[in-house]
Amino acid sequence: MPHFTRAKVLMYGFVSLWSLFVMLPLLWMVLASFKTKRELFMDPLGLPGTWTFDAFERAWGVGMGAFLLNSVIVTAASVALIVVVSGMAAYVLARSDSRWLRLVYLLIVAGFAVPVQAVLVPLYQMISGAGMLNSLAAIVLPYAAYGIPFTTVLFYAFFLDFPREMEEAARLDGCSRIRTFFSVILPLSGPAVASAAIFQAVFIWNEFVLALLMLNTPDTKTLPVGIIALGGEFTSDWPAIMAGLSIAILPILLIFVLAQKYFVRSLAGLGK
Amino acid sequence: MKRYSTKGRTGPLTRHVIGAAFGLAVALGGGVPQFANAQEDVTIRMWALTNPNYPEFIAQAAEAFKLTHPNVTIDFQETPNEAYKTAIQVALVGSAPPDVFFNWAGEDSNRLVRDGLVLDLTGLANEPGQFGTTLAQSWLDTFSVDGLIYGAPTDAVTKYFYYDNAFFTDNSLSVPATFEELLGLCTAIRAIDPAIVPIPLGNSERWKMNHYITLLNERVMGNDALRADYSLTAPDDQLFTNPGYVTAWGKVLEMQTAGCFQDAPNATSPEVSRTLFSSQISPMIFCGSWCMSIFDGEGYTDYSLFRFPPIEGGASDGNSNMVVPQGLQVAAATQHPKEAVEWISFLTSPEQGAKFAEMRGALPSDPSLLSALPNATEQFKWVAADMASLAVQYNVIDVEVEASVANAYLDAGVEILNGTMTPEQAMESIRTAALAAKAAMQ
Amino acid sequence: MPGATLAPTVPIHTADKAKRTQYSARVSALILLAPALGLCAVFIFIPAILAILGSFFTFGITSRAWEPAGLSNYAKVIADPIFWTALRNNLIIVIGSIVFQVGIGTILAAILDRGLPRASTVFRTVIFAPMVVSAVAVALIWQVILDPNVGALNAIIKAVSLTPPQLGWLGDPTISIWVVLMIACWQYTGFMMVLILAGLQGIPKELYEAASLDGARGLTAFRHITLPSIRNVLLVAVLITTIGGFKVFDLIYATTQGGPANATQVLGTYIYLQAFNLGNMGYANAISVVLLCIAVMLGWLQLKSSRRA
Repeated sequence: MPHFTRAKVLMYGFVSLWSLFVMLPLLWMVLASFKTKRELFMDPLGLPGTWTFDAFERAWGVGMGAFLLNSVIVTAASVALIVVVSGMAAYVLARSDSRWLRLVYLLIVAGFAVPVQAVLVPLYQMISGAGMLNSLAAIVLPYAAYGIPFTTVLFYAFFLDFPREMEEAARLDGCSRIRTFFSVILPLSGPAVASAAIFQAVFIWNEFVLALLMLNTPDTKTLPVGIIALGGEFTSDWPAIMAGLSIAILPILLIFVLAQKYFVRSLAGLGK
Repeated sequence: MKRYSTKGRTGPLTRHVIGAAFGLAVALGGGVPQFANAQEDVTIRMWALTNPNYPEFIAQAAEAFKLTHPNVTIDFQETPNEAYKTAIQVALVGSAPPDVFFNWAGEDSNRLVRDGLVLDLTGLANEPGQFGTTLAQSWLDTFSVDGLIYGAPTDAVTKYFYYDNAFFTDNSLSVPATFEELLGLCTAIRAIDPAIVPIPLGNSERWKMNHYITLLNERVMGNDALRADYSLTAPDDQLFTNPGYVTAWGKVLEMQTAGCFQDAPNATSPEVSRTLFSSQISPMIFCGSWCMSIFDGEGYTDYSLFRFPPIEGGASDGNSNMVVPQGLQVAAATQHPKEAVEWISFLTSPEQGAKFAEMRGALPSDPSLLSALPNATEQFKWVAADMASLAVQYNVIDVEVEASVANAYLDAGVEILNGTMTPEQAMESIRTAALAAKAAMQ
Repeated sequence: MPGATLAPTVPIHTADKAKRTQYSARVSALILLAPALGLCAVFIFIPAILAILGSFFTFGITSRAWEPAGLSNYAKVIADPIFWTALRNNLIIVIGSIVFQVGIGTILAAILDRGLPRASTVFRTVIFAPMVVSAVAVALIWQVILDPNVGALNAIIKAVSLTPPQLGWLGDPTISIWVVLMIACWQYTGFMMVLILAGLQGIPKELYEAASLDGARGLTAFRHITLPSIRNVLLVAVLITTIGGFKVFDLIYATTQGGPANATQVLGTYIYLQAFNLGNMGYANAISVVLLCIAVMLGWLQLKSSRRA
């Protein structure tokens, strides 16, 4: 088996190299949280002189805890809204043959193609004009809107393959379409829901532009915006920023690790 | 204007009497009679940039303010530098503008004035005890348009060359009296050790070079020659045609050739350049007055400062410097103009000015109590004294000039350093932008 | 209508029930669709229409009035060299991302799926990790690592006696966009890998076993079995990457703000510059409309190709 072993070595080598490439900057970031500002800049490859949690304390002190909470609230609410609303829409679209509804599907897909950037100006003026600035509840709505198209496509593909027997049984029992969806379809769509959730969670957790423009008060800032606040007009507390960023990664990485099994299995239906 | 709330129903005559009494009390400045404090509770919403210690400063000022204005609450909100300009503009046209807000003097302020979003404070500011009567005229001019006061300057920042005392002493170097001597310094430092970067330049955010060219323009042509071009009021065929502009860019190239800067200034952040100086890896830096508290905070204090030297044969004698005033303005849509102005006047009073200097390491607009500051460093006092001795002050280009022209200047700085543009080409691009902006303003 | 002509065999109340069922089906369909359509209409479609409208005017954030500008904004777009630079940069990012992110992602997925299945979970998590890091964080980390004076990368390069670029990785206008592309690939390859891995796990093992009996193993199996079976997933990956490449904003803005001197400007950041720094809202809208058209065209392409499969 020498040929086999050589191939294995090559494969391990490639994957390990890439993993190293990926991990080193992140490790550097975590390491930097323990350094002083001077060490951070002057001794990039070295270890911290003294290992202190000072930077973490400062990051936490500036409100990292509150930013974290805001991010969690906004992300959870948005993801929940996206999943339910997209699921409902995709269900209807996947089960119908009407030409009108196919047009609706096209419209929703077109929505995926619209970048927030392109409509940032009128979107912002609309939101500001409606007095929706600096409200955690308010930002959930545009976040949801921008997550719906992609998630609807995801669910559409999944529902096309969903076995119809369970639905027929429920309908014969007299369930309305809506009740069927909530009591039968949704609970059995674990993999699709989990994967949609993790994708959207990652995007919304890191969303920066809308949050920057819409959430400016100290009690509404989310993580990406709050971290910038560690930088002043003229100088930044870099170790604290790195500490804040290190803290920021943990929750979402944890969710990814937990959701992994569902995440991978369900995407098999995506290409259809 | 102000609406007086009356509890219960009072006839129009009574209301007028109360109103007149209050007006009299306010006009008398100082002691507001007890009954007039039965005013509605007023909340002043205030916005400012995120800056270390500033929220603490505002908090203690709000407490002190409550002693004379018990019914006024200050609601303070800070926003990161990046988003501030956008956020404040949108807020001012939006549904819930702040009453008092931070702004830079120059184009940022002028734009808001043009669009009618800022309150004309001339009347209120000149009431007894308000800031129009306490601040020096040159300071008041910074936020004035056509003689009307549109804001109160709270502080200013300025730029100096910093140098490491030990390095200069050890190598028998002296403070340059002219620009040419500055170039000589760079050459001398490189001769000592070619690996040392004499003046690290952190231009990754484009404004550092802009500060250089602001100084160089004035040193070459003198402040008066620049006014018409910067305000875009010069006739089209003369706009930015002064050959001095090209000469000024040429001086940047001379600094590059003399080895003053490192190789990759556009990839170096201002932060890194400052750390190179404060770690004593580089012996000099062209840095803002705000850098003093940064260096002190890092434990590095053995430095001194000197002004950007005059150029031999240039139109400026060097008794001038770049000063960027910052201050507070009042939104035109405010419901509480009087309280807003009183709050601003309080913040710019000598006592608060001194506190501001102490907590923020900033140079306040009313420096009368600065010399008494117990913790002021030698360098800080030197800068304050130097600023007071200036004959001429001028703002930095990217704050002074219209946005697209400022943008052209910023980009030109990047390209000059990269060698992708000649000084002539740079002025071509700036002149084009200026002509377009001028046409759009008409 | 059916009810009227089906005389004696269908009792009236059943016909009514059929109509009522059809009616209630329509209503429930509408109820299920309404929130999605409503949210998209309010936050996506209406702003899009407003952007298109605004592109025919000249105005700033604080302007009191919108001045009609006809097609002049679009004429300016076509004549604007920075617009074409931005478009070029977007194309570089799109094509580069497809080649590297999807390419390397596929290779990694294939290795983890077939070659090293037992180590898969650990590697999967590690390689996906950059995805959960925000663009702001990514930019900050890489700016310091790439710093020409004190950065880790240059320290390593000089240690092996090579010379790094003189103007700096992010300061040299000829290479900066490629460096940004590299950072994007660093972050997003894991995403592609996971996506394709999912597709790979849908391929039945029997196919590989049958092929290996015929002597087709390793790379040959990869070319003739794996790739064709994940054609659809690959298509989706390519399309996501393409649309993402045109939409990109966060990374560029946080890393270089479009500099040095517009060398890394992309449509997203240029729109931001024009709208929020320079106050040319109408012009920014015109650029947005161009971006919109490109994006909608791509979305339409996706719909066509996914239907075919």
